[in-house]
Amino acid sequence: MNDWHIDAGLLGEYERGELDPSRAMAVEAHMQACPPCRSSIRVDFTWLTGNWSVVYDHVHAPKAGPGHRLLRRLGLPEHRIRLLTATPALRWSWLAATVTVLGLAVAAAWLLRSGAGGAVLATSFLILAPVLPVVAVSGAYGPPADPMHEITGTTPSAGPALVLWRAISVIGVAMTMAATAGVLLPGPGWFAVAWLLPALLLCTGTLALATALALPVAAATLGGLWLAGVLAASRLVHGEPFLSVVFGPTAQLGYLAAAVAAAAVLILRRRRFDLGASR
Amino acid sequence: MTTVTVSGLAKHYGSTTALAAVDLAIGVGVTGLLGPNGAGKSTLLRCLATALAADSGSVRMFGLDPAVPADRTEIRRRIGYLPQNPGLYPNFTAYDLLDYVAVLKEITDTRQRRAEVRRVLAEVELTDRAQTRVRRLSGGMRQRLGLAQALLGDPDLVILDEPTVGLDPEQRMLFRALISRLGEQRTVLLSTHQTEDVGALCERVVVMNGGRVVFEGRPRDLAGVAEGRVWLSAAPPEGSAAYWRNADGLYRTIGDAPAGAEAARPGIEDGYLMLLGRTAVEVAR
Repeated sequence: MNDWHIDAGLLGEYERGELDPSRAMAVEAHMQACPPCRSSIRVDFTWLTGNWSVVYDHVHAPKAGPGHRLLRRLGLPEHRIRLLTATPALRWSWLAATVTVLGLAVAAAWLLRSGAGGAVLATSFLILAPVLPVVAVSGAYGPPADPMHEITGTTPSAGPALVLWRAISVIGVAMTMAATAGVLLPGPGWFAVAWLLPALLLCTGTLALATALALPVAAATLGGLWLAGVLAASRLVHGEPFLSVVFGPTAQLGYLAAAVAAAAVLILRRRRFDLGASR
Repeated sequence: MTTVTVSGLAKHYGSTTALAAVDLAIGVGVTGLLGPNGAGKSTLLRCLATALAADSGSVRMFGLDPAVPADRTEIRRRIGYLPQNPGLYPNFTAYDLLDYVAVLKEITDTRQRRAEVRRVLAEVELTDRAQTRVRRLSGGMRQRLGLAQALLGDPDLVILDEPTVGLDPEQRMLFRALISRLGEQRTVLLSTHQTEDVGALCERVVVMNGGRVVFEGRPRDLAGVAEGRVWLSAAPPEGSAAYWRNADGLYRTIGDAPAGAEAARPGIEDGYLMLLGRTAVEVAR
């Protein structure tokens, strides 16, 4: 330690920010080693705290991922994006698993497209694709998918609006992925869209049923009913007419009507999504 | 000033009675909820945290009724809740998690939200752990993070379900200091198995057993329940179920005086044991 201290003139220039960077750094290096000089400087705590806060937030605040940036471009406010991107079923593990399953289905269908196997795989996709968004919905909120459901459910944002926002976000993502896979499948063009209305029915139906049952139970019930129904139809009607029966215009109209009815039930019973509401 | 008033509150799970006509009034300060497993503590806290609807009875919080949807939302704006199993997302950083809960608590302005996250991180002394993922935090730090999320929005009522369970003595001490600071201006309601926590922290204690409130008063009054019923003797007592050999080699008995025993000063734990024992006898009758 030496006896030299920063004189008042130099200190004043430093405080006013008039020193060039190299001299300012030299002053700061001295002050770090010299408590008397350090204590003689007048600190604007408001300014210092403000600066520290900006630096702290810049380092620690969550960084916007690709999904976040996409939603921002779509015009959603920041807080809404934070809620949606924290949805359990939108985590990377789930997304990666879904993409892998769909990718394998498309790859297998392409590899086998010359033989009968390709048609079977494409039909399987058509039957399974509506179930995919339902599985996503079952992971959108509540136990056991969301370990923080009890904290979430006791905040002012809890209730039907949050549940529906989350459900819509996972349905949107699952449908986009399935639609992309559908387009890549070999086969007639209507393959890419024929599953959409059944998927819509299963999603709205699952949410409507979830006002009375636990969400995973509702999802498993409707997903199971759909698969059992399709299996039963395949036993009764063989060959190409089977697809016309399950995915033809009449059936599609039926799915739409049922989806509207399920949506009506959902709206009427939406308060049941609130943990604190009477059962 | 009374923050919470509960009257005739009942909750059943099938044929099991979790709460049986609970009456309670809680005001500013720290109130401890003591009771054995299955006493109904968590059910009561979940009802007050608006995570569960009661079957019957009434609750008023800040003069509002949680059974009314609009009131329930307003109550949620004024409470902070740390459940027994908070399930904090393991892959979130501490900052990220608090930022997310702050959004859930309707702090939508980004600048205000970040200031609030910094405030609660500092309050639970986790400022330097902001970037640490939840799964990498120690048990004590995770509990403090759980408390931090409950403090977002500066709630008037803080509900903590078993906040000190599993903590080592140092972490528990830190937690006690935090909770006692909170209780200076807010209403804090915490459940615990630890009678030491109640003695160290709480201005009032509520003892529950079998879904009922069996005691409500000051901790020293709880100790007073065992006044004249705690004994020290050189030989093990005959016929008493509640006794143990202490560090001095003497047998501490709660209940009737064993032969040759001297009266001892009762503690909160003695009063608590006495109370549950008495209740058990009443139930058996």
